[in-house]
Amino acid sequence: MKALAIETATAASSVALGEDGEVAAMALRVDRRGHVEFLVPAIDFCFTRAGWTPDDLDLVAVDVGPGPFTGIRAGISAAQGIAAAVGVPIVTTSSLTVLALRAATGHRQIWPVVDVRRGEVATAPFRPVPGGVVRDGATEVVTPGGLRALIDSRPTEALVVGDWRALPDSVFSGIHGTKMGRPRYPAADVMLEIAAMRAQQQDFATPEEVRPLYLREPDTAINWSDFREEGMWPGAAS
Amino acid sequence: MTTEPLILGIETSCDETGVAVVEGFGVRSSVLSSQTEAHARFGGVVPEVAARAHVEALRPLVHLALARAGVHSDDLDGIAVTQGPGLAGALMVGFSFAKALAWSLGKPFIGIDHMEGHLVAPRLEDADYAPPAIVLLASGGHSQIVHVRAWGDYEVLGETIDDAAGEAFDKLARFMGLGYPGGPAIDVASDGGDPDAIRYPRALRDRPFDFSFSGLKTSVVTSLQKAKEAGDVPPLPDVAASIQEAIVDVLVDKTFNAVEHTGAGAVAGGGGVLANRRLRARLDEEAAARGVDLHLPTPALCTDNGAMIAGAATIHLRAGRTTEWHADVRPGQRLDG
Ligand SMILES: [Zn+2]
Repeated sequence: MKALAIETATAASSVALGEDGEVAAMALRVDRRGHVEFLVPAIDFCFTRAGWTPDDLDLVAVDVGPGPFTGIRAGISAAQGIAAAVGVPIVTTSSLTVLALRAATGHRQIWPVVDVRRGEVATAPFRPVPGGVVRDGATEVVTPGGLRALIDSRPTEALVVGDWRALPDSVFSGIHGTKMGRPRYPAADVMLEIAAMRAQQQDFATPEEVRPLYLREPDTAINWSDFREEGMWPGAAS
Repeated sequence: MTTEPLILGIETSCDETGVAVVEGFGVRSSVLSSQTEAHARFGGVVPEVAARAHVEALRPLVHLALARAGVHSDDLDGIAVTQGPGLAGALMVGFSFAKALAWSLGKPFIGIDHMEGHLVAPRLEDADYAPPAIVLLASGGHSQIVHVRAWGDYEVLGETIDDAAGEAFDKLARFMGLGYPGGPAIDVASDGGDPDAIRYPRALRDRPFDFSFSGLKTSVVTSLQKAKEAGDVPPLPDVAASIQEAIVDVLVDKTFNAVEHTGAGAVAGGGGVLANRRLRARLDEEAAARGVDLHLPTPALCTDNGAMIAGAATIHLRAGRTTEWHADVRPGQRLDG
């Protein structure tokens, strides 16, 4: 089972090729705006490195967030382009699960955080279990203060991973037993493990599932404040 | 046997997801998923709404376009996509998809300037249309007059210094409570109206090829507000027809200024505003009066579509020009930049 994984849900972009969860090649770059530029050359590099061609693929895995939508859409679109070309199914992963899976050790409750802009982060609690992690609560978009309250509300000692460096230090200070750790960004190599598992269970994404995880309504502000809402001829609207 | 390239064209720069298969300049299939309704309740194109809709529509449309053309992806000679100008988040969806598709299929990848697509669109229906020509491009996002000296050789002679023509229609229609999109709404509302009832200003008389629509906007709003206060609002058809006439006048004047300036023997048009019936009629009158050939695409090819992008790619592919794998979208790209 040969898979290509694409991850663009944060400031980092990565792609990985692997067989049954084993990594054959990987490329990674941190550049908030560079997802579109990076992806195809990186994919090309990985295929050359692994000595594979696109027709070897059985599966494409793509991370659907949470994270900034623009990067995620670049990744999803690339995944769809490749899947359409070679006719293989898509598996979707969550950036929070990818972060938690890499961090999973010990007994701590894992809180991956992903910057979703406008001063907020997405997070969810994860519990390590043999062979992986289990999500232990809802995915939420919270302010730094809200994140602190969430972590503080649970008795289990916390391990915070992801881009916590972007948050003020005061967010975590004084919460009993909280540790900060790695990784900072989700990466495509971890996605290969998830992809292998899903492929085994034939758990492929439906077209409707291959979408960014939208945790917010679209920003619909249009700068037309110089015009009044009310028309001149009531009832004229077609 | 034909030697014309078979190209898949993808357009996602604004609020239409367009995909087409074109053979040379011949359209084999062209499919579109318009988001007009999704944006109507906001009275304009919302970038995030547009990007979301492109993600949902694109892949099914690609399959549909290939199926309708009876073409297998292996038979394609290239994949073309709009690189700019446009909304960054919207462009990125088509561009990332097209690039990955082209790479996976091992096909040439061609990033196309959206405006060049509009310049080429008339050629897809009309083999007599050829450079040199003056092309009026007017839509909700752009208003330009372009001198097409040869395929691939374009000079922007003039452009709007504030609102695009379609934007002026949208804003005024919204002000008058006519709904969105504004161009067709004002077009319909003007039925039976007198285009000379109210004389709204025609701006930038001293700049032969440039447009400005903010003065018109202010004039309409101020005069209507005054009329409302005075309890003497003129009939809607007269106002709509007069607004339309003011916008059309400016577009037609500047276009034929450019024809005179360059001596071009042909005029063409592109962009959603070119679907306006009054504008088409006036261009037709003026062209006939001057003995200039007019090439206006049918309304479906005036608005954004994938076929015009594939058609423009034919020019580049014939010249051996393709786009690098590391290319990115260019939201602010200029045709002659
Ligand atoms: Zn356009």
